[in-house]
Amino acid sequence: MKICFDHIDACIGGNRILTDVSVHAQHGRMTGIIGPNGCGKSTLLKTLFGIVKTDSGTITLDGKPISEMKRSEVSSLVGYVGQDIPCVFDFSVRSVTEMALYGRKGLSRRKRDSIVNESLASVGLLDLAERSILTLSGGERKLVFIARALAQGVETIVLDEPTNHLDIRHQLFIMDYLKKSGKTILIVLHDLRLAAYYCDEVFLLNKGHSYASGAPCDTLTTENIRNVFGIHGYAGNAAFGSDFMIDFNSEITL
Amino acid sequence: MKKFLRTPIVLTLLLAGLAFSIVATVSIGSSELPLANAYGILVDKLFNGGKRIAEGLYPNSQYQVIWNIRLPRVIFGMLCGAGLSVCGAAMQSLVLNPIADPYVLGISSGASAGAAFALLVPLPLIGGSNQTMLFAMFGALLASAVVYFMARAGGGGQIRPVTLLLSGTAVNAVMSAITSLLVFLAKSPESITAVYNWQMGSIAAAQWTTLTFPLIAVIIGTVIFTLNGTRFNQLMMGDEDAMSMGLNVPLFRTTMFIVSSVVVASLVSVTGIIGFVGLVIPHIVRLITGTSDNKRVIPFSAILGAIYLIWADAAARGLFGRAELPLGIITAFVGAPFFLYLMARKKYGGNGR
Repeated sequence: MKICFDHIDACIGGNRILTDVSVHAQHGRMTGIIGPNGCGKSTLLKTLFGIVKTDSGTITLDGKPISEMKRSEVSSLVGYVGQDIPCVFDFSVRSVTEMALYGRKGLSRRKRDSIVNESLASVGLLDLAERSILTLSGGERKLVFIARALAQGVETIVLDEPTNHLDIRHQLFIMDYLKKSGKTILIVLHDLRLAAYYCDEVFLLNKGHSYASGAPCDTLTTENIRNVFGIHGYAGNAAFGSDFMIDFNSEITL
Repeated sequence: MKKFLRTPIVLTLLLAGLAFSIVATVSIGSSELPLANAYGILVDKLFNGGKRIAEGLYPNSQYQVIWNIRLPRVIFGMLCGAGLSVCGAAMQSLVLNPIADPYVLGISSGASAGAAFALLVPLPLIGGSNQTMLFAMFGALLASAVVYFMARAGGGGQIRPVTLLLSGTAVNAVMSAITSLLVFLAKSPESITAVYNWQMGSIAAAQWTTLTFPLIAVIIGTVIFTLNGTRFNQLMMGDEDAMSMGLNVPLFRTTMFIVSSVVVASLVSVTGIIGFVGLVIPHIVRLITGTSDNKRVIPFSAILGAIYLIWADAAARGLFGRAELPLGIITAFVGAPFFLYLMARKKYGGNGR
């Protein structure tokens, strides 16, 4: 599914967060949203579900404006993995995953179970299905919410920094999994190297504005990184391989 | 298999416990009455059209005590226990916080202040108990709205336990002060007694005639909450998550706060403040069923709450002979330590959500 945010303006509590931001996620590809803290990355994702209201601009799913769709319709097409989901109450991994299917009417018990089992199996969590979510590690929890998004938005998933607080092994596992899933992925990332390595296309935001977009090697240039993040780095093809790499030096002037 | 059987077993035990508790507690009170007679009278009246009672098998005085005094009181106790517990379970989901209940959030105090206002400030409105009920409802709604928005504003859009408790405490204080002020301004000693009774909480005033509205409110409220169990579950994962799953969070929350306020007001306007029931019961249900799934927690809380409150009330009228203890004292003695225990648990403490 193609997701298009066009010329989005949005405010939170009277503060303008997004100004004329456009981001397009192409079908079946992984699209990254990059930018410094507070540049409006998460806010943009939230406008898709009405968590943050837009002041102007349009959001479309395969060309259809979400303003003409019901909430339940949007949520049946797109799964969402939020940044930090409060886990206060005691639910099993299976129950949490099942929540994705609450809105779906007319699903048989068997069908429901098979969707849940498949989603859990695909992120390697089937063994933990009956465990309480409260007893899981941060990485495992994140996987549960990815499994739920899989169960919910079958072909399209939007993720807000899913690699946060995870060790490198879990980070790579999640990114690898998403990349290989063949689904349409729109992902907010903090780690430029992960973005450079995994994303097909990235959108660089700065201070609530669109700054640059395109293939990682064209967008995450030494110059753009310096201008947006205020750090000195080197971006280019690594000497020892053909992969695009980003390196940083430590002299940071904030 | 064990997990699969857990729900039906718990349900059967709860229902059996409720039936036993009804019979047992109607035999407790200032005049001693054998358990067998209580059972006989209830069964005869309910399933046999009262033939044996008419034949004089049981003393008429016993029948009068059981049927006209204790049974309505026990039924009202069930309603209070069930109603406060389901509202507690609902509110814990609504504010995403396990320490919420109608008392802690100041909603009971709001209802109490509203009821006091209706009783002590003579208004030529609908009059009588309807007016009391209406004002209690208004007070409850006002209190929930104030607590909710204060907690939200203080937490920067998110509700944290600390801000929630502080705003609940503040609203509690203001509403209690309003109630006390109304008492102070009232000239009639009867009204003062009535208001005093509210602050302490008691279901001694229950009669068949006062049961109707609470009965309707509690049943409809419990059904609405149970049917929305899955939505409450989604809300337990946070506002953003629930919205991404298609739930219209603001609309849902507002509607459910209104339903809770109506249920709480229908009870509090008769009983006064009975604290901590809604806090304790849903937690115990979560412990014994091993899940936070509201499709089960809400109906089970209704039954367990009913059992708990009729025993608490039996203790209130049985512990000190003829002198009856206010029920609110007993629920506070049980509930407050439990509340402290929850606060002390790390995951429900100040930093978490």
